[in-house]
Amino acid sequence: MKHSKTVLTLAVILALSLVAAACGDDAEEGPDGPSLIYVTPNPIGVNKFLELGQIGTQQVAEELGGTWKTFESTNDSDRRANIEAAIDEAPDVIVLTTFTLVELADELSKAHPDQEFILIDTCPDEPAANLHCGVFREHEGAYLLGIMAGRLTETKEVGSVVALDIPFLHRYSDSFALGAQSVDPSINDTQVFIGGDNPFSDPARAKEQALAVAARGADHIFAVGAGSNGGIFEAAQQEGFFSYGVDVNQCPEAPGRIVDNNMKLVDALVVQLAKAVLDGTAESVVAFGLAERGTGVMALASDDELADSQCLIADHPDIVAEVRAARDAIVNGEIVVPDPLFG
Amino acid sequence: MFEQIFDTALFDSATRAMIPILLAALGGMICERAGVFQIALEGIMLAGAFAAVAGSYLALNSGVGVMFGVAAGMLISLALAYGTVTRKGDSIVLGIALNLLAMGLTGFLLPQLFDVRGVFQHARIDGLDRIAIPGLSQIPWVGPVLFDNTILTYVALLLVPALWVFLFRTPIGLRLRGVGERPLAAETLGVSPTVYKYGAVLTSGALAGMAGAQLSLGNVVQFAENMSSGRGWVAVVAVMLGRAHPAGVLAAAALFALAEALGFRFQGNGLPVQVTDALPFVVTLIALIAARKRFARLLDLTTSA
Repeated sequence: MKHSKTVLTLAVILALSLVAAACGDDAEEGPDGPSLIYVTPNPIGVNKFLELGQIGTQQVAEELGGTWKTFESTNDSDRRANIEAAIDEAPDVIVLTTFTLVELADELSKAHPDQEFILIDTCPDEPAANLHCGVFREHEGAYLLGIMAGRLTETKEVGSVVALDIPFLHRYSDSFALGAQSVDPSINDTQVFIGGDNPFSDPARAKEQALAVAARGADHIFAVGAGSNGGIFEAAQQEGFFSYGVDVNQCPEAPGRIVDNNMKLVDALVVQLAKAVLDGTAESVVAFGLAERGTGVMALASDDELADSQCLIADHPDIVAEVRAARDAIVNGEIVVPDPLFG
Repeated sequence: MFEQIFDTALFDSATRAMIPILLAALGGMICERAGVFQIALEGIMLAGAFAAVAGSYLALNSGVGVMFGVAAGMLISLALAYGTVTRKGDSIVLGIALNLLAMGLTGFLLPQLFDVRGVFQHARIDGLDRIAIPGLSQIPWVGPVLFDNTILTYVALLLVPALWVFLFRTPIGLRLRGVGERPLAAETLGVSPTVYKYGAVLTSGALAGMAGAQLSLGNVVQFAENMSSGRGWVAVVAVMLGRAHPAGVLAAAALFALAEALGFRFQGNGLPVQVTDALPFVVTLIALIAARKRFARLLDLTTSA
């Protein structure tokens, strides 16, 4: 068993070095191009968020004629082993994603000051000089969703079902309410928190919470529950209210009931941050919002993408135009969305 | 405000919260009566939820899903029965191990079988339909709350009186309790503790597996990693608070679920989540302490009869 594993590892290394050599031959810059290694906290599988990180890493390597690899982790122990294996190869940049890796990123970046790291979606309290964090300004996208809800609500009641009552998640719920009230100040907002033992993966509890908010008359409810979101979408289908997703395009999960999503464009963030690191211009923490195209909603995508998204907002071109104008206003600074996390 | 909180939707929500807890707790109660401390309900419920979704997905049929859930629950409880009864192991150690096993195994099988992580939701998964009982479901208030539900809801509610009769009015129930209270005495009378304990543990596995099926095919129609989310532990507590009596277990589960559903409503009126999270536990404890004396007398009457 152990022997066959070694053989397999050797074969993989051989294959990768062949691929690397092949890339090197084709690329103009040859082997001088940058090398990147992407380490995931979990298997990529159908996880859109992790897949976007890989797409971004690949894009940087290809644009600059360099090489890239992905190390997929499955559990705590091989997360560390994978990052250490990446450090051993001393690539120009190691790309890490999500808060699952924050402690390892902090520890290992301090232990290896000559290795450049990128950490996406989170940041330790005092990052080392060689650790560059890319975080999102989630509140800007949430505000745009709020504008949609404000336009579409008939009961003048909106709400959010949120995993936990923490400042970070108020970026979603508070900004959603602000966006809706920017359309009509009389709109009422209700926020409930899933809580319990397992707030990020308890669809049954989230569904009951969503039903309780709907029973108060809310017809547009923002689902900020990660793995619990499926329960909120079920409630939407059952009670006929409309919902909004997070992180990636969740519209296909409940066709006709999801208006739009507050998306994190991880690939764009990786590309911009990695290039800055390679140029030596990266700061320790970079926040990406609408201006940097690091966050967004489906309504800001190209018309073709929007038409294929199964998002309800595609049926309202007038609101899409309004949301796009609001995006420009946020980028210009005409609209300032307060940040509940640092505000 | 009163009408806004106390409506049928509230009791509907409470019923859905109660049924998985009640099913698992009734299973735990039978084990308790047979002298086996059943602490693996959380893991069995999770395995049942996973197997139910898997079965329903494969067969496009919720009935098959429920059977899968029950089978998975019995399989895990077979390991518990073998370990505690045949091998005389510690039921707490084994129970905790099985809870961890169920969490790891479902988390592992989810990507292996269905190529997803975290949540598995698919149009092929056939959920349990709500079956309205003609006539009874027309009763105002009570009808829509109790008589327009999934088949497993009716099973759970009917099991309460059925198990009451079984435990205290049938020879097998008497022997089961005898095995739990005086195993040696039972054995001298020719009652095999092994057979009764195996029966009790396997039944609890079936019921907790059914609880999982209700959770993943009834309450919602999807599986999420670790979705039992402590409901199995609440069931363990319900067995203790209800003194392993069907009526007591029902009261504990109902009170807990009602407090939880109320908490969700109060949150909408501005009560902090930290308070509503604690509410079910606080209310259940206070109510049971307050009702302890009368309740204990009632239970003693029925058990000694």
